[in-house]
Amino acid sequence: MRLKPPPLALAIWVAACCVPLAFALGLLSGSSGWGWPDRDILWLIRVPRVLAAFGTGAALALAGALIQLVTRNPLSDPQVLGVTSGASVGALLALMLLPAGLHFGVELGATVGALLSMTLVFSLAWRSMGRGLALSAQPGTVVVLLVGMMVSAACLSVVDFIVTVANDVQLRSIVFWMLGDLNGATLWWPVWVATGLAFVLAWSRARELDWLARGDAWAWTIGVSVAHRRRIAILAACVATGAAVATAGSIGFVGLVAPHMVRLTGLRSARHLLPFSAVFGGVFLVLADTVARTVVAPTQLPVGVISAAVGVPLFLTMLLRRRA
Amino acid sequence: MSHNESLPLHLEGVALRAGGSPHGRLLCSGLDLQAMPGQRWVLLGPNGAGKSTLLMAIAGLVAPDHGRIVLGDRALPDWRSEDLAKCRAWCPQFWLDPFPVSAWETVACAVLATRPDRKAAAVEEVARRWLHVLDAAAIADKDVRTLSGGERQRVALATAFAQATPLLLLDEPTSHLDWGHQGLLQRVLKRWSKDDGGTAMVAVHDLNLAWTLATHALLLDGKGGAICGPRDKILTAEALALAYGVPVTILEDGEARWFRVNLEHPPCSS
Repeated sequence: MRLKPPPLALAIWVAACCVPLAFALGLLSGSSGWGWPDRDILWLIRVPRVLAAFGTGAALALAGALIQLVTRNPLSDPQVLGVTSGASVGALLALMLLPAGLHFGVELGATVGALLSMTLVFSLAWRSMGRGLALSAQPGTVVVLLVGMMVSAACLSVVDFIVTVANDVQLRSIVFWMLGDLNGATLWWPVWVATGLAFVLAWSRARELDWLARGDAWAWTIGVSVAHRRRIAILAACVATGAAVATAGSIGFVGLVAPHMVRLTGLRSARHLLPFSAVFGGVFLVLADTVARTVVAPTQLPVGVISAAVGVPLFLTMLLRRRA
Repeated sequence: MSHNESLPLHLEGVALRAGGSPHGRLLCSGLDLQAMPGQRWVLLGPNGAGKSTLLMAIAGLVAPDHGRIVLGDRALPDWRSEDLAKCRAWCPQFWLDPFPVSAWETVACAVLATRPDRKAAAVEEVARRWLHVLDAAAIADKDVRTLSGGERQRVALATAFAQATPLLLLDEPTSHLDWGHQGLLQRVLKRWSKDDGGTAMVAVHDLNLAWTLATHALLLDGKGGAICGPRDKILTAEALALAYGVPVTILEDGEARWFRVNLEHPPCSS
């Protein structure tokens, strides 16, 4: 199998065409049919929603690409960090305990939850993140993955508890939250800020992430400060994931699938993988949200349903096509 | 690709434990060794004797339990890893490639890491040249995950050479190579150490290859003992039989030595 990357100019051109196209589709489609909406609907509902969708998708895809590189595991995604489920607990607690009608209560809860679980994962796995130069060729950073999965499991049991004791009205919002929903995403800019921050953190020395993916010990012998680079990358991934979950709930598969799709086009080096994954993830989620709003209109589906429905077969095809 | 500076390597009273941890099994102690530019050292010893750990210690990845390892004028802990990367290349025994990447890009990252100021075209040219030297030009554009064991090993060797360092640490570089490519590696290594004055430390199991490749040898006996020196002092029938636990017969033919190992013999009770 020969590998030939596509010309970078072509990739940029395609990306530059896809983004406005996806935005146009997202802005022109609504639960009441296609067409140019009223001024108020456009500016107060559609534009923030499309921007939030793009930002969320980009954040999740960027986090996925980073986590996969740093853990040297192609099956990693932002959810294994435990940040997603931590944010879910925060959001659900806010739904349950805060008085209804409070602005941004859920977002606040999700952000606090994401930050708390992120801190927990970091403090538990800090030592192994920094010092563990895996001397063998085995995948490194297993401890981060395991700690993330454990935090995730603990949070999910809390989620189950909340779901059990919630009343019917609360249950509706909870279910929408857990499926991943952009319906309430009026605050679009925090996720853009977080994604930008994560991108700046990770991209400055992205090339070293490629070397890290070939083995910790070897990367160190060619002069990469492994511990530092890995901590920065995980921090960036946590920030992006936390913001994405706070904006739109837990949306699966974008973080896992977007980096793999970009790799399939031949853009494999981290310097290309990170930005193009983010663009792909953003476009993917804008389109998925557009479908979610229109496919059974006037009922709006949570975007998580669509992204999983597209993501699962896509990923399975890739997995089964993969050589052993 | 010559090196302006030649870096002698000194091991002073080095004691190593398995895995580099203070509770590990003792692999060697009080090891003194001086490897000068132009010398090719082979590291011999039974499985688990500590060849790989010693190479990792010299690479700076594992701290010795006692003693110090001095490269040039500084002990290893005093080197910055960026500077060390320009002075020694480490080629591990196993590689794991989780993501698709072409063979030449794998080689190129070693060039880029040590010479970040080079132009992309120059980096690719260096990478492809080393792949060509190691008879891997035909697989330069292939995905490394689809290569055979021997092909992957040649790509790894090209990566180590392309790093262009005066000290090469190769961990069992011939374990997957056929005879023809073992010979090729031997010729490349010899030319490299003669022309560029490089020092090579190579862990091997094949005694005949060890003899023809090396100028010096280090033999770990697997019980904490180690002897080192010029190859004709170390590669003796008694020392090898004691270390490996199998009888070794040596046929001498002028300068040449041929090693015959009797694998059917029951283990020596030494």
